[in-house]
Amino acid sequence: MSYRTFSEAKQSYTFILPLIIFILAFILLPVVGTFINSFFRDISFLQRKFIMFGNYKQLFNDPGFYGAIRFTILFIVVSVTIEIILGLIFALILNETIPFRGFLRACVLLPWAIPSAISARLWELIYNYNYGLANFICIKSGISTGPINWLGSSVGAFFGLVIADVWKTTPFVTIILLAGLSAIPTELYLQAKVDGTNFLQRFYKITMPLLKPVLVVALLFRTIDALRIFDLIYVLTHGGPGGATTSLSLYAYKYYLAGDFGYGSAVSVILFVISFTLSIIYIKLARFGESGI
Amino acid sequence: MFRKSFILMISLFMILFAGCRGTEEAITFAVGGAPNEIEFWETLVKEFTRQTGIKVNILRQPTDTDQRRQGLVISLKSRKADPDVFLMDVAWVAQFGASEWLEPLDDYIKNENMNLDVFFNRVVNLVDRYNGGLIALPVYIDGGVLYYRKDLLRKYGYSEPPETWDKLVDCALKVQKDMRNINPNFYGFLWQGAQYEGLVCNWIEFAASNGGGIILRDGKIKLNLPSNIEAVQFMYDLIHTYKISPPNTFTEMKEEEVRMSFQKGDALFERNWPYAWALHQSEDSYVKGKVDIAPLPHFPSGKSVSTLGGWHIGISKYSDAKSKAFKFLKFVVSYETQKKLGLKLGWNPGRKDVYNDNEVLERLPHLAKLKNVFENALPRPNLPYYTQISEILQHYINAAIAGKLTPEVALSQAEKEAQNVIERYERK
Repeated sequence: MSYRTFSEAKQSYTFILPLIIFILAFILLPVVGTFINSFFRDISFLQRKFIMFGNYKQLFNDPGFYGAIRFTILFIVVSVTIEIILGLIFALILNETIPFRGFLRACVLLPWAIPSAISARLWELIYNYNYGLANFICIKSGISTGPINWLGSSVGAFFGLVIADVWKTTPFVTIILLAGLSAIPTELYLQAKVDGTNFLQRFYKITMPLLKPVLVVALLFRTIDALRIFDLIYVLTHGGPGGATTSLSLYAYKYYLAGDFGYGSAVSVILFVISFTLSIIYIKLARFGESGI
Repeated sequence: MFRKSFILMISLFMILFAGCRGTEEAITFAVGGAPNEIEFWETLVKEFTRQTGIKVNILRQPTDTDQRRQGLVISLKSRKADPDVFLMDVAWVAQFGASEWLEPLDDYIKNENMNLDVFFNRVVNLVDRYNGGLIALPVYIDGGVLYYRKDLLRKYGYSEPPETWDKLVDCALKVQKDMRNINPNFYGFLWQGAQYEGLVCNWIEFAASNGGGIILRDGKIKLNLPSNIEAVQFMYDLIHTYKISPPNTFTEMKEEEVRMSFQKGDALFERNWPYAWALHQSEDSYVKGKVDIAPLPHFPSGKSVSTLGGWHIGISKYSDAKSKAFKFLKFVVSYETQKKLGLKLGWNPGRKDVYNDNEVLERLPHLAKLKNVFENALPRPNLPYYTQISEILQHYINAAIAGKLTPEVALSQAEKEAQNVIERYERK
């Protein structure tokens, strides 16, 4: 008996071995490597040298870094908030028995299925000054007399990116929340109705508490995704105008490209620390395990 | 059970990584660009193999300059044997050279008795040498030029394109005002103002034609100069005061956007690289036969300046087939290949002697004008950390022409940050 369990255990390790190797080789190793590299002056055209916190010192004296942090945080707060609210509304609607529900669910998912770089190109065409759809609608409907340079101001570029991101990722939130909603037993609602509750009461007392763990998962994924926003900005604004939309990952990328790997690594480490901290806060907030999920 | 699957896995890994080894007989040439360019290189490589028996694999890169650079940086940083030979933008040669990623070419040149005088001397000396050693050779050359609509200038009574920026503004205002009656999208002057490398090239031309530019002396950088402030102010005025350049200049205008607008007939003047010439003259172009080129205008006290662009060929220091790679390099910069480059792609050869070729001049008469432009083109600073300086310039000049910062504040801020960069990277 004991021999059998031992061999079974061995067998199960064999099964998870590829995963462990994969995680070691492609996740842990690069992360540790980046950590180590961030303590070096690793510039392609200079002698490699250990400089301890030199890169970080430089980082904290660089106004460009603070600009990137400010933009990234603002972007997360605004875009994720809108995505969660819209996603929740869509999920609630799609959870009801409405006509064409299957078709509508498929439609909602569509923007999520398009690769970011391609949807960014799409939005580039919409915002285009000369032949963009946005200006076409504004001029034809009389909202504006001449074309508007949508991405021309810091505020315009910011909301231009937020709208494009919301369009693309709200479906993701919708689908996750929809899964959470369908897991809530309908008996609870029926019973609450018998007890004479109204829609809002049912929403706050049943839907919200039971949806919370799923909501936190959606929030977690979206926050970390928004934190490393790159492709959309790379295509739409390239960090402009005047550096107003430089995100942390774009900032790091520019240093890698210029051959300053140590500094780029330091920026990446900061990104990692932020997303790690956020994940811990979210997981604590959701109290996974206590609720039995 | 355990052992069997373990062995299976190890062998799978070995198969996986065995495929990664480079082949030694063939050389790998990394090149990107538009489909017609790749096609050109493919036929060229076939010709090379026919002549020498050396096989060449083309490692196809994207069109985007930054992405081409990214691909090379990754291979070279990890000391990969492939690619053996590749093309570099003029702005990275110094970084690649200082990183010691490029094979010094002096000995090869000496052994093969190659004559370097056939190239543009200034270009070879200012770009292709790092600390005196030769590390690359020019494949084709670029420089900013002014395109103008000769039909419109004639119609409005101008016999010549403007020589100074003031005259350009006067002329553009007059023509634009009248042309707007027919074409509401018409603008006087298009140039590249989006936040990217092209903006720095444009700014250098404005600033240096006023006696300014990036001034480097004894490890100190000077940007906040009256001449530079005036140039940035002028760029701002073109968009916001004279309104002869469109409002999307500082957000969307890169080479292709500018070229397409001009080609549709939406502008009188255009600052662009010579590549636009062949496209403007193509069958479906509205401006075919209506366009000509001239040197860029200058400020009253300065002279016309064109920023040096173009691509250079070099050999990887980690290549496992250097002598074969050099044979290919020699083939690419040979008279025959350079002539083909001009005739087939409409590019400007890196060799001076091709500009005297009768067949080339007959097909591409504008090359006669360009030769002079290239001989005096101004290269960007030959620093390994030029990219970081450029990033700062892109950021602040874009902010200034967007109206977010005044030219003084933008340039003094840029100077301060650029000085930090220099101090960081000059420390040995």
